[in-house]
Amino acid sequence: MIKISDLVSDDAAYVSRRAWSDAAVYELEKRGVFGKAWLFLGHESQIRNPGDFVQAYMCETPIILARGEDNRIYATINSCSHRGLPVCRADSGNTKRFVCPYHNWSYKVDGTLVTIPQEKMVTVKPDKSLLGLKPVPRLESWRGMIFGSFDDAIEPLEDYLGNMRFYLDAFFERFENGIEFAGAPHRWTINANWKLPMENQLGDVNHGPFLHSAVIPPEANEEIFDVGMSVVPEAGHGATFRLMREGTAKENLAWGMEGMGAILGGSEVQEYLYEIQAKASERVGDIRARMKGLTYGVYPNLSFLWSNTSFKVSHPRGPGKVEYWSWSAIPADAPDSVKKVLRTNYSSFFGPGGILEQEDSEAWMQQFIGSNIDFADDKPYYYGLGMGDEQAHADLPGLVSSTANEYYARAFFQRWRSALETVDQSAIPSFSGGDIALSEVN
Amino acid sequence: MSDAMSTLQEKLAQQYRVEQFYYHEAALLDNRQYQQWFALVTEDINYVMPSRVNKMVDNRMRGQEAMISVERELEGSDDMGSPLREEGYAHLFVRVDRAYKANSWAENPPARTRRMVSNVQIRSIDGDRYTVSSNFHMFFARPGSDNFIYSGQRNDTLISVDDSFKIAAREVIMDYANIDVPTLGLLF
Repeated sequence: MIKISDLVSDDAAYVSRRAWSDAAVYELEKRGVFGKAWLFLGHESQIRNPGDFVQAYMCETPIILARGEDNRIYATINSCSHRGLPVCRADSGNTKRFVCPYHNWSYKVDGTLVTIPQEKMVTVKPDKSLLGLKPVPRLESWRGMIFGSFDDAIEPLEDYLGNMRFYLDAFFERFENGIEFAGAPHRWTINANWKLPMENQLGDVNHGPFLHSAVIPPEANEEIFDVGMSVVPEAGHGATFRLMREGTAKENLAWGMEGMGAILGGSEVQEYLYEIQAKASERVGDIRARMKGLTYGVYPNLSFLWSNTSFKVSHPRGPGKVEYWSWSAIPADAPDSVKKVLRTNYSSFFGPGGILEQEDSEAWMQQFIGSNIDFADDKPYYYGLGMGDEQAHADLPGLVSSTANEYYARAFFQRWRSALETVDQSAIPSFSGGDIALSEVN
Repeated sequence: MSDAMSTLQEKLAQQYRVEQFYYHEAALLDNRQYQQWFALVTEDINYVMPSRVNKMVDNRMRGQEAMISVERELEGSDDMGSPLREEGYAHLFVRVDRAYKANSWAENPPARTRRMVSNVQIRSIDGDRYTVSSNFHMFFARPGSDNFIYSGQRNDTLISVDDSFKIAAREVIMDYANIDVPTLGLLF
């Protein structure tokens, strides 16, 4: 049995190295965190037409996200009911059927089992209606962002996001026709624990001036010191941005203008970005029109890098490995020429070839090494910076503070600790030698 | 000397020039002389690394080589997808400049690399513009991490300048199913 209270102190000023590296802790995370949360699957723009599908993951479980023949969205576990092989082998596409390679059982994109080729040779016909792919129990979308949950009883997605919607809308609602994801996600593995990429985007703006000082100019960091804010709208979620002063020139205010694409992209893209900014007050209100976003996090593992306009998901592959997915997000109604420039706002700095991402990945890998050493368990990590500095704000929901306050991380780890405490450890087969009840099948 | 022989000699000389250029370039990169490497690219360079996706096989294309062509798997500059890198002179400048700062943490201490360039094929020559494909393997050892192998193809447009070349365009096609190297943000 793991004593959860040893992993995170009550005030979350200390977080154990084991929280990052212990295989048994990871088993608890699968059940208490990933089994109980809304997990991001994909964007509606990726599956516009009946038969469209993309792959996704919920923790380590492979998911097919698809638009069915009835135009509704479906999420099912990508594993054949016969022998368990993944039936969808492509990243994305459009199809009428997924065919399992082993014995050619075939399924509709919504998971319905259509054919068992061996059926005609046997006397007792299996009931195909019971043998479809397992559906993800809960599926909801908001602003085109599709989430799934393994928890039947989870609160509605909008309640789960809570005040985070105010900050996400500061971005989403700028665009009359919403956003879309450009192409397939970039996917790469990093020898790190899944929580650190998440923490990095949740509120850790303060590593920028240090880890990235070879690339980020001092002026950009001064701006963050000056008008940067770190908000915890709900424990586990986080939003950081610069609240620019009234009267800030559009060149220094408009979304997208600080990316390499826009800087080098010429007047077409710049005029496009100024037009969006010109309508921002009307669309999202004065205060949110002055937000120049940095990074966001949605519990447990979705990040949004507003400054470079990328959504990212940190999928665990064990305690010491992450499969990191990221997409470039672009306004859906932008001309193709503008979309092609804006996608490089993301890829220049982030993604597997990004100038900043290489620095982050290295830090995350090195942190895992530090988390997995012996004779240092009595030196948990210090998370106490800015303790108590967070305050309510007249215009901004949640608790607000400077970007040096690590409250975003303390709130995350308090939620994480509570989530682990809900797990009945005696019911975990690998912990207790218990049985998996076959009576629960179907 | 017969015409055939002089044509062959000309081709051998062209091949020799291009190969020597690539060996020189690889040596500069492996010796971390990135500033000297940067002098080998034109100011309007177009440096692209397509992303590589797993598409569903199209049943209507069965029996044809196009069904499983490499091109089908690539999301490059001309597509509306998301290439891994689409860079110009300014991007490459930032990468080169960064390498000589004490706080470029991912390269401090720097990785040890060894590039092998081979299968050099001159596709076409149009005046001073050479279209060339080559393959590379690169051994990459990052201190404090691990050893990695990078494998890929480069499709270049080279401009013949004096007795050397300048790189005007480069498409780097990485061979990966799952990106498990520390970064694709290197100079290939």
